Amino acid sequence: MAIKSASPTPSIFKKKSYPAMNTAASYLSAVSEADARARAHGGTPNSTPALSLSSSVTTSSEDTVLHEIFTTVHTEFGHCGNEDYRYTSHYNPAHPVKGVTEQDPPYYILLTTYISYILVIIFGHIRDFFGKRFKHSSYRHLLAHDGYAALNSDFDSFYTRRLKLRIDDCFSHPVTGVPGRTIVLLDRYSPNYNKTFLPTGTRTRAMNLSSYNYLGFAQGKGACTEAVVESVNRYGVSACGSRLEGGTLDLHMQAESLVARFIGMEDALISSMGFATNSTIIPALVSKGCLVISDELNHASIRFGVRLSGANVRVFKHNDMQALESLLREVISQGQPKTHRPWKKILLIVEGLYSMEGTLVALPQIIELKKKYKFYLFIDEAHSIGALGPHGRGVCDYYGINPRSVDILMGTFTKSFGAAGGYISGNKVLVDRLRVYGHTGPYAEAMSPPILTQIIASMASIMGITLPEKSSSSRSLIRNTEGPIPGVEYEQYPGKAPVSALPPWMLTPSTMVDGSEGLTRLRRLAFNTRYLNRGLRKLGFITYGHDDSPIVPLLLFNPGKMAVFSRLMRTRATPIVIVVVAYPATPLVTSRVRFCLSASHTKEDIDTLLAACDEIGDLLDLKQAAGERWPLHEIITRAVELVNMEEVP
Amino acid sequence: MKGHLQEIDELVDEWVPEPLAAPLTPREQADLAAIPVIIGPTGPKPKLASGKTVVNLATYNFTGLAGNETIKERVIDTVRKYGLGSCGPPGFYGTQDVHIQLEQDIADFLGTEASIIYAQAFSTISSVIPAFCKRGDIIVADRGVNFAIQKGLQISRCTIRWFDHNDMKSLEQVLQSTEKEWRKKKGPLTRRFIVTEGVFDHDGAMSDLPKLVELKLKYKYRLILDESVSFGSVGRTGRGLTELYNVPASQVDMLVGSLANGLTACGGFCAGSHIVVNHQRINGTAFVFSAAMPPSLAVAASEGINILRSTPSILSTLQDNVRAVRAVLDKVDCITIPSHPASPMIHLNVRLPSPTHLLPVASPSLASSSGKPSNPLSVHPRDPEVFDVELEERLLQDIVEEALVQGVMLTRSKRLRGQELTEVRPSIRLNLTAALTRKDCEKAAAVIKAAFIKVVSKRK
Ligand SMILES: Cc1ncc(COP(=O)(O)O)c(C=O)c1O
Repeated sequence: MAIKSASPTPSIFKKKSYPAMNTAASYLSAVSEADARARAHGGTPNSTPALSLSSSVTTSSEDTVLHEIFTTVHTEFGHCGNEDYRYTSHYNPAHPVKGVTEQDPPYYILLTTYISYILVIIFGHIRDFFGKRFKHSSYRHLLAHDGYAALNSDFDSFYTRRLKLRIDDCFSHPVTGVPGRTIVLLDRYSPNYNKTFLPTGTRTRAMNLSSYNYLGFAQGKGACTEAVVESVNRYGVSACGSRLEGGTLDLHMQAESLVARFIGMEDALISSMGFATNSTIIPALVSKGCLVISDELNHASIRFGVRLSGANVRVFKHNDMQALESLLREVISQGQPKTHRPWKKILLIVEGLYSMEGTLVALPQIIELKKKYKFYLFIDEAHSIGALGPHGRGVCDYYGINPRSVDILMGTFTKSFGAAGGYISGNKVLVDRLRVYGHTGPYAEAMSPPILTQIIASMASIMGITLPEKSSSSRSLIRNTEGPIPGVEYEQYPGKAPVSALPPWMLTPSTMVDGSEGLTRLRRLAFNTRYLNRGLRKLGFITYGHDDSPIVPLLLFNPGKMAVFSRLMRTRATPIVIVVVAYPATPLVTSRVRFCLSASHTKEDIDTLLAACDEIGDLLDLKQAAGERWPLHEIITRAVELVNMEEVP
Repeated sequence: MKGHLQEIDELVDEWVPEPLAAPLTPREQADLAAIPVIIGPTGPKPKLASGKTVVNLATYNFTGLAGNETIKERVIDTVRKYGLGSCGPPGFYGTQDVHIQLEQDIADFLGTEASIIYAQAFSTISSVIPAFCKRGDIIVADRGVNFAIQKGLQISRCTIRWFDHNDMKSLEQVLQSTEKEWRKKKGPLTRRFIVTEGVFDHDGAMSDLPKLVELKLKYKYRLILDESVSFGSVGRTGRGLTELYNVPASQVDMLVGSLANGLTACGGFCAGSHIVVNHQRINGTAFVFSAAMPPSLAVAASEGINILRSTPSILSTLQDNVRAVRAVLDKVDCITIPSHPASPMIHLNVRLPSPTHLLPVASPSLASSSGKPSNPLSVHPRDPEVFDVELEERLLQDIVEEALVQGVMLTRSKRLRGQELTEVRPSIRLNLTAALTRKDCEKAAAVIKAAFIKVVSKRK
């Protein structure tokens, strides 16, 4: 059986923590030294290697300084100077988005997958049977004792104890520092087969393909961080209450209006947790007598909110528009159960980009259905906002659909913006109602000032900023003006952020003002995304999802391969961290590994990743897809061509 | 068949949905517009959009940690080292060393084996309850529990029995009757929980923790205690009810608290045994399916605990302030205070003198012990308080606005009326803070007193 208990394989790639740069001056001089060095070696490097630099043995003191520059700056966000490694995320109507294109693996893979589950389950039950009788103490919490029922029934926890425990070294790994292009793992080992983990005290820096950091805003440096630091100095860290009970700051108002502008809606509200945005606001949208139609793969927060709302729920097959339409016809013609009264409202809830599948919602078809069937549409853009579309405005932007043809656009700030919390946007009447009737307004803590600032700064740098005609002197004047300012186009979408919408103390460097920084991030992400998706397929892997999805699931099938894949990646010369997911987050047979791409990765990073997958794929017999294959070196050299193809044959 | 399709088409054409959202009523709009906007930092004396600087008795800053310079410094350091967001759920490389540290700090501070942090206080208990309580399990809950608990109970789909608000006699009766019921049915042994609050969000009443613990041990229940208000606000160093009553925190099976209220950071926690905590790492919905808290805010909370630990004077100042305010307001004719004298959250109800249908209301526990006990199957007590919600809310809003003119920021407790399981008596909720001087507090209390008297007497 492929599942092996974890042995504490110490990483061969250890890193000590390096002392921080002491002064700005030493940092600057180091940068210029680095430049001089690069000139001496002829030409500027196109990009920074992810980790090879830090693994090389340093010889001189200058090298150490150089080393630190790369480890502190480029470990967060890789430098990529080659303008060919860019792409614009957009929809091509010639190739309509399909639902999930499922590829079945060969029969023997399915068979062995099932067999390994069956074996694990049988062994698990045998161990439970004897354990409960002979090792009472370690089963105490699963058994009734002293008149108390067991806290968790052994049936409920069977999966956790017998399957997940075996691969627990792949989950909840503690980390430190910025979750950017690379991430620092706090190494650990388990003396007792994953029951508990102990820190070894060492650290490993690894290439990070696990964090939701699509645009690379997870940074401890740069304009956004400076803005955040300034906001902490000015505001402290808390708003100290709920929005309706005195916890509203000027920053909340500024952030909400900027979010509305970014999304292209009339108004928006912000909640301090992404999960809670769904779970506490959906109940204010629908109630008894209403129907929610929900994609079967919708996120737990949506299901939580729908359950609290008291509305009826019907589920349709993931992204299947035919199933959706026939369900719509059925529910509208049948009305409410028993009474057959017509539904008060029907709300369709879908996600923009599905985080386990990498599939995109088929929005054009849904908009067509909406016209005919008159349901209201709620799109959870947790993963698509910022990550899709030529302007980063999410699925509507991607498809070129007016955002106002959707009733409610929801999203989170945890992913693309490197912040936390979520928003709901729609027309003003709706959003005002949700401010009052959502649970968040009266009961939940308001979002804290540094988070608001991160949102404002990152959004502004994606949007670019419109400066007033006469610069700095009139700036404060304009901020106090109510109503539209002549010369500033308010309704333009996707437009720039007027400087009057930003906090007056926020510094706005020129790359933020002209939007070039944001645009580069969008285009780098789009390139990396298509490159990895297509590269993996050309290597022969079975992947799910759309070519433009920055989440790339690669199918492993056999649960035993999850742990092995994860460990092999983590212990390479250039360690790579990835996320593996299996049942119950996915169907039983489709265990998978998930890559989350980022604008902070360079093309060479993706090359490195492809090479690692190529090797491990052979080892684990993962290359099962039909279709034309290219050897690794060909993929790497023809990357630009591969990305720019309309469709991969 | 064709006819059938046509029929469906017709039904589809005929169907007219209700509008997605009805506009707010003029009153609701006015309420929304009346919400103060703070310009710049919040704190004991923030500046409002009107340009006025006010004394803040509305928001949660019990310990006065808002704007603390040490916390700011540590937060800035952390932002420079970690960036802002954690960019992932705890299971997928979102657990950072500072989160582990905070969990350890909370556990050490309270004296439990372990703790787990959630990214938002409000979403903590509504995940904690359903993580343990499943269909068929029994929950005995206080009739006055807060909205977040109500949502947790709703999600859990347990069998729920209610006892009268903060009434230990009623609790014992319900435990007995539930026991009898279970014996009669000869059902299997199920998990049983008592769910209640330390200091109640609805009215500031305080639970009798030693009695709760005695009863839960006697009847073999597990205790889920929501200390969202009391953590960081009562006890010698702010450890909450367990410190105040000197009950070991390990006697409370799941101790839930807020890092946003008591420590002016953000998020919530559940402290308990290793088993209780680890179970939530896989089964706490809002923990598993949400990004970890921003690392810098975890550091803010850790530093807050540090400060509380080393500065007991914070809590004694807070108690002084509470006493100063109570000394002024306790004796005002038109105010009833249902809150415990030690609670730094003080609810003020209006007491109207004349009309008979609005008699000064006896406390609910008195009402129920006078007659037969309430029906434990219903959330409504036998003799519910009678009050005129609309009238009282209007008066309270007038008082809030009057006080604001006089430079004191107050807030009504905002409730989702119609969604709360029971009708909660309208109140103004004061949250005192250690960051104000005794004098400030006395002055503010005088303003509140004058505002109550002015508004209530004008009505006559
Ligand atoms: C679709 C969807 N909605 C909501 C959320 C919750 O967001 P947050 O992590 O900000 O709480 C997530 C995050 O995992 C998500 O994937």
